[in-house]
Amino acid sequence: MAKGESPLKQFEIQPIVDINFLGFDISFTNSALWMTITTAFILIFFTVPFLKAKKTNSVSDLYPTRMQVAAELGFNFINSLLADTVGKEGKKYFPLVFTLFMFILFGNLFGMIPYSFTFTSHIIVTLALAMGVFIFVTVLGFVKHGVKFFSFFVIPGLPVYMLPLLIPIEIISYLSRPISLSVRLFANMLAGHTLLKVFAGFVSALGFFGILPLVFIIALTGLEILIAFLQAYVFAILTCLYINDALHLH
Amino acid sequence: MPQLEQVEFFISQLFWLGVFFVILFTVLTYITLPKIRAFLNQRDDFVKSHISKQDELIKKAESIIENYEAKLTEAKNQASQIINDAKDKALKESEDLIKATEEKIQHEIKQTEERVAKEKDTAISELNDQLKDSATNFLSKVTNIEKGNINL
Repeated sequence: MAKGESPLKQFEIQPIVDINFLGFDISFTNSALWMTITTAFILIFFTVPFLKAKKTNSVSDLYPTRMQVAAELGFNFINSLLADTVGKEGKKYFPLVFTLFMFILFGNLFGMIPYSFTFTSHIIVTLALAMGVFIFVTVLGFVKHGVKFFSFFVIPGLPVYMLPLLIPIEIISYLSRPISLSVRLFANMLAGHTLLKVFAGFVSALGFFGILPLVFIIALTGLEILIAFLQAYVFAILTCLYINDALHLH
Repeated sequence: MPQLEQVEFFISQLFWLGVFFVILFTVLTYITLPKIRAFLNQRDDFVKSHISKQDELIKKAESIIENYEAKLTEAKNQASQIINDAKDKALKESEDLIKATEEKIQHEIKQTEERVAKEKDTAISELNDQLKDSATNFLSKVTNIEKGNINL
């Protein structure tokens, strides 16, 4: 980064191909480019190792290759996550949670590549994902329970005179779910990348002593990779919990 | 903050997010995940079938061992029976033999005794006759009475 550049410059969206569709600006930007890379990578990573898999019963064909083991790891991770939080009924929602987790995870991880772009550091992207989840679980709740879904806001076992106080609180907390879900991911990505950039600025500013922030950046990069994974995990597990709430109410 | 300032790119971001998310979701749902699941199921089935096969084989082996042990005890019982029988038989035979021999000996002793007694009687009677004879001779010679008239 050139001297004097804002640490927030890395979040700037730059159009690559200007596209105008029915008066809407849907330019292919650096954000869209990294979405493309993420999508392509996930699809290749999880599909290609299993393309050759044929149906045989000989033992040697059942030994997974390295790539298959890696893909299975992701598959089983989400599988057990869903099984632990939702249970058997959760199997139906596996593709959704898997897609969400992998999209966010690799979006975050590719964002750690220098000069790349982190599309999950944009509130509009995370808010869209969170709103998608929110609308999905709300619709799911109404489909499963009909009007009874409103009983979700009534905590069982509470004295009646507490209800006027607690039902609004429950409704507010329910409605704030997409906001907390999206802001958590967005803020983590924003803060991590900004912090890295600020300390990167110190490296050149301090001259020889720049070695100290450099060491800090190296450690922080490790932490950021952990956070990249952790935030994807949090997003996925909260989605699972919301699905569980919609299916079982309490 | 570009996230909130570059409002003009909101629609573009939403559009491409939608496009790629839908592509990713669709391909994963209909192609990738079923493939992975099929692969995992295939392996699970293979392992499970082998486990059940193994259980079967273990059961078979156990039944064979049971069979073998039953046969072994049976054979052992038979062997001890045969040994006992043989012992009994041998004992009985030897006892019989001893008994028979004893009887035979007893018989022979008896016979011998009888014969001896008989011989003794004969000898005595013979001796008697001879004595009678000689006595008769002696008397007839002394008394000149004919032998036939002497009755001792």
